[in-house]
Amino acid sequence: MDLIEPGTKDEVRDALRGASERRSSVAIVGGRTHADKGNPAEVDRELSTARLDRVIAYDPEEMLAVVEGGIRMGELRRVLADGGQEWPSDAPDDATVGGTIAVAASSPRRLRMGPIRDSVVELELVTGDGRLVRSGARTVKSVQGYDLHRLATGSLGSLGAIVQVAVKVRPLPKARRLVVSGAGGLAAGRIVLSAVPLPSAVVATPDRIKVSLEGWPAEVEEQTTAISGASGDVEIEDGAPIGGPEAIGAPVVAEVAVAPSRLDGVLAGERDWRALMGVGIAWVGLPDNGKRLASLRRRVAEVGGIAPVIRGPGGLGDAPVPALEVHRRLKAAFDPAGILAPGRFWGGL
Amino acid sequence: MADLNAARRELEDALGGGEVLSDPLALRLYARDASMVEGSAALVVFPRSTDDIVACVRTASRHGLHVVPRGSGTGLAGASTPIGDALVVVTAKMDRIIGIRSEDRLAWVEPGLFNLDLGTALRGTGFTYMPDPSSQQVSSIGGNVGTNAGGPHCLAYGVTSAHVLAMDVVLSDGSVVRLGAEGPEAAGYDLRGVVVGAEGTVGLVAAVCVRLTPEPPAITTMLLDFATVEDCAATVSAIIATGVVPAALEMMDQGIVRAVESFAHAGYPTDAAAVLLVEVDGIAAGVHAQTLEVEAAAHEHSVGTIRVAESAQERALLWKGRKSAFGAIAQIAPHYHLHDCVVPRSKLVEVLTGVYAICRREDITVTNVFHAGDGNLHPLLSFDRSEPGILERVLRASEEIVRLCVDAGGSLSGEHGIGLEKRDFMPLVFTEDDLAAQACVRSAFDPPGRMNPQKVLPDGARCGDFAVAAAGASPDGIGDAAGPSIPEGTWI
Repeated sequence: MDLIEPGTKDEVRDALRGASERRSSVAIVGGRTHADKGNPAEVDRELSTARLDRVIAYDPEEMLAVVEGGIRMGELRRVLADGGQEWPSDAPDDATVGGTIAVAASSPRRLRMGPIRDSVVELELVTGDGRLVRSGARTVKSVQGYDLHRLATGSLGSLGAIVQVAVKVRPLPKARRLVVSGAGGLAAGRIVLSAVPLPSAVVATPDRIKVSLEGWPAEVEEQTTAISGASGDVEIEDGAPIGGPEAIGAPVVAEVAVAPSRLDGVLAGERDWRALMGVGIAWVGLPDNGKRLASLRRRVAEVGGIAPVIRGPGGLGDAPVPALEVHRRLKAAFDPAGILAPGRFWGGL
Repeated sequence: MADLNAARRELEDALGGGEVLSDPLALRLYARDASMVEGSAALVVFPRSTDDIVACVRTASRHGLHVVPRGSGTGLAGASTPIGDALVVVTAKMDRIIGIRSEDRLAWVEPGLFNLDLGTALRGTGFTYMPDPSSQQVSSIGGNVGTNAGGPHCLAYGVTSAHVLAMDVVLSDGSVVRLGAEGPEAAGYDLRGVVVGAEGTVGLVAAVCVRLTPEPPAITTMLLDFATVEDCAATVSAIIATGVVPAALEMMDQGIVRAVESFAHAGYPTDAAAVLLVEVDGIAAGVHAQTLEVEAAAHEHSVGTIRVAESAQERALLWKGRKSAFGAIAQIAPHYHLHDCVVPRSKLVEVLTGVYAICRREDITVTNVFHAGDGNLHPLLSFDRSEPGILERVLRASEEIVRLCVDAGGSLSGEHGIGLEKRDFMPLVFTEDDLAAQACVRSAFDPPGRMNPQKVLPDGARCGDFAVAAAGASPDGIGDAAGPSIPEGTWI
C-alpha cells in the first residue's frame, strides 16, 4: 500500500486536499500501536504523521507542552522528564502523541489522572479536504468557542489528521510504588479502593490486586500502611509499572467501559482480565473475536456500556450511537468527500 | 413575526398556565443576565421536566421563536441575554437531585439545581462535586455546564467538563439524546464535550450525570501576604516549580483585600500589596510536605506573614473572604464589569501591570481577585453608570485588556464564556477557517440555528463557507448558524 509521509503541516494539507479531489481513501497512521481499534476499513493509501515530530514549545512553568502530532511518546517522555514532568498517558514509547489522542487510549492510572481528553487543551487538525483548523488555547484553562479538540480526541482519524496539540502536563511524583496483594477479584479490589486514600490506580485481576501509589515519600508510606491494614500481606515493588492492556497476552483484547458497579456482571465467567477499580474500565483477554466476544458485548450492552476491541480483530461493536444524525453532519463537514478511513468509526462513519 | 399569543397558549396547555410569563415586568426581568448587555424576551417559561423542555422546543420551532436557555442568570458574558423573538427557558424549577450513586462515583441531577446544594447533599458520603465557581450559592449545574464553569479548586481538579459524565440533551428538533455515559467512555464522538461550554447554543440540558470525587482526607489552607504584587506573582511560579500542584492558588490585590476585609472580617492584612490564598490537599503526610514546600517558596520571595488555618472554621473564614469578593466591591461603586481571561503563568506580572496602566489611563477603579495558579485573571472594573461617559471608558478599557491578554498568548475566557460580550473578539484568536469549522459544529447539532443564536460566534462565521468550498462537497444539511448583527436589539 502507498504510504505518504509528509514532513510539514502544509504537506499534510496538500496530500489530503488532493486525495479528496480524487476521492481516494486515506487512513491516518502514527506509531501503529493502537491501529487495531476501529472497524475494518479498506483504504487506497496511508498517511503517516511520524515526520511531524517537533516540540513546538515547552516551558515547565506553564505545565503545558506543545508538540506536533507525530512525536513519539518515548521522545515526549524524555523531554518532559528533563523538566521534571510527565504527560500521564501510559501509551507505549513507539506510539505517537497524535495517535494516542486519536484513539483516546486509557491510562491504567486513569483513576487519578483522568481521561486523556481532559489533558488536551489545544489542537490543530487537518480536515479531510485539507483545511487546517485549530481550537482551544495554549493555556491550562480556556472556554473560547467550540471544542473541536474534544471531537478529534477519540475520532480514530475520521475527522482529520491531528498535526499539533498542546497537552497539560504534571510534575513527576517524588516517589512511586507498586503494592501487590495476594488476593484477587473485584470484591477484594473494592476493599483496597475504599481503604487506601487517593491511589493513582487500583487494578484488579482474577488473582491479584495491584495498587499504584504516587506522591511524596511519606504519603506513599501512609498509603502502603493503609493497604496492608485492609488486605494483609503485600509485596512492594518500587518503580515497577502498574501495567495496562499490554500485560494481557491473549490475541484479542476488548476494552470494556461501564459504570464501576456493573463490572461484576460483565466479567462473570471471564478468566483473563484487568479491571480499573473506581473507573469502570476492564481489559478482557479473549482467544478470538468469536462467541465469547459476542457474549461479553451482550452483557456490556445490558448495562449501557461499550466494549471495543483494542487488540486483534473484532472492531468497535454495535453499541447504539446517540444523535447519529449529528455525527453524520459532523463527518460531512470535516471530511466532505468521505475519504478518511470510511467505515472505521462508530456508526459506520 | 412570531404569533406570540398562539405560542403562549400552546405552552400554557403543555406546561400549565402558571409556568408561562409574558407580562412586561417579567419580560424586562428576564431580558438580561449578570453581564452588561440587555436584550428582550418574548416569552418566559419554567419547565418542570424533560417533556416540558421538549414541548418548549417544539412550540418555539412551530412559531419561529429562538430558544434561550437560562439557569440562575448569573452568567457574565451575556449567553442568557435573549434577542429578538426569544423564548427564555428557565430551568430554575428543575432543581431535584435524581440520585446519588457513590458506588459508581456519580450523581444524576436536574439542571436547575444550585451547585452548592449538590455539595450539601453529598456531605457524609465521602465524595464531593469539585467545580466551585464563586457564584456556587446561586448558580445552577445546568448553567455551570453551559459555560464550562471553573472555580478556585479547578487548578488541581479541572473545570466542569472533567466532572460531567453524561447528559440528557434536548436538540432543536425536539429529540432527546443521552450524550456521554455513566461509564468512562461512550460510543461515537465526544458530543458531551462539545455541549459542555457551548453556552446553550447546541441544545438544552435536561439532566446531568456528574462525576463525584473522593473528599481529600487532609486539607491545609494558608494566607500569605506580600509587600509587592511582583513577589506575590513570583511565588505562584515558585510554588509550581517545586512540583506542588495546590488544590487552589488564589491571588487578591490590595484594593480587593480592603473591600473584602471590611465586609467579611476574615482577618486579611489590608496593608499588604497582595495576598495569596493557597490550599493543598491530599493525604496528611503529603499535605504536610507540600505545606513546607509552599512556605519555602514564599520565603524566597519575601513573604510577610504566613497564616495557616488552624481549624475548619478558620479555613471557612479565609474562603469567605475570597468568595465574597464580588459582593464586597459594591462598597467601591454600584456597578462593576468583571473580566475573565487567561494568560500564561509567566506573564502574570506583565499583564497585571498593563491592566493597572489601562485603568489608570481611563480613570477607572480596578481591583483584582483571581485564579493565579491557572493564570486566569479577573480584573474587576468598578464604576457608577450615572457618570457621563463612564460606559464608553469601561468598554474601551475592557477591549484593551482583552487585547493585552491575547497578545500575551492568552485565551479570551477562562470560565465565563464568550456569549455576546466577547463574540466579536473571536477573530483575534481564531482564523476564518477555525471559526467556520466551529460554525459547522454548531449547525451539526442545530441546522436551523434555533438554539440561542448570535452567541459565541461573530457575525460572518458560517459553516457554509467551510463546506461549500471543499472539493465536491454538498452543503445540504449544513445550516447557517450566524444571525444578524449583534447590537441590533441589544443595548448596554
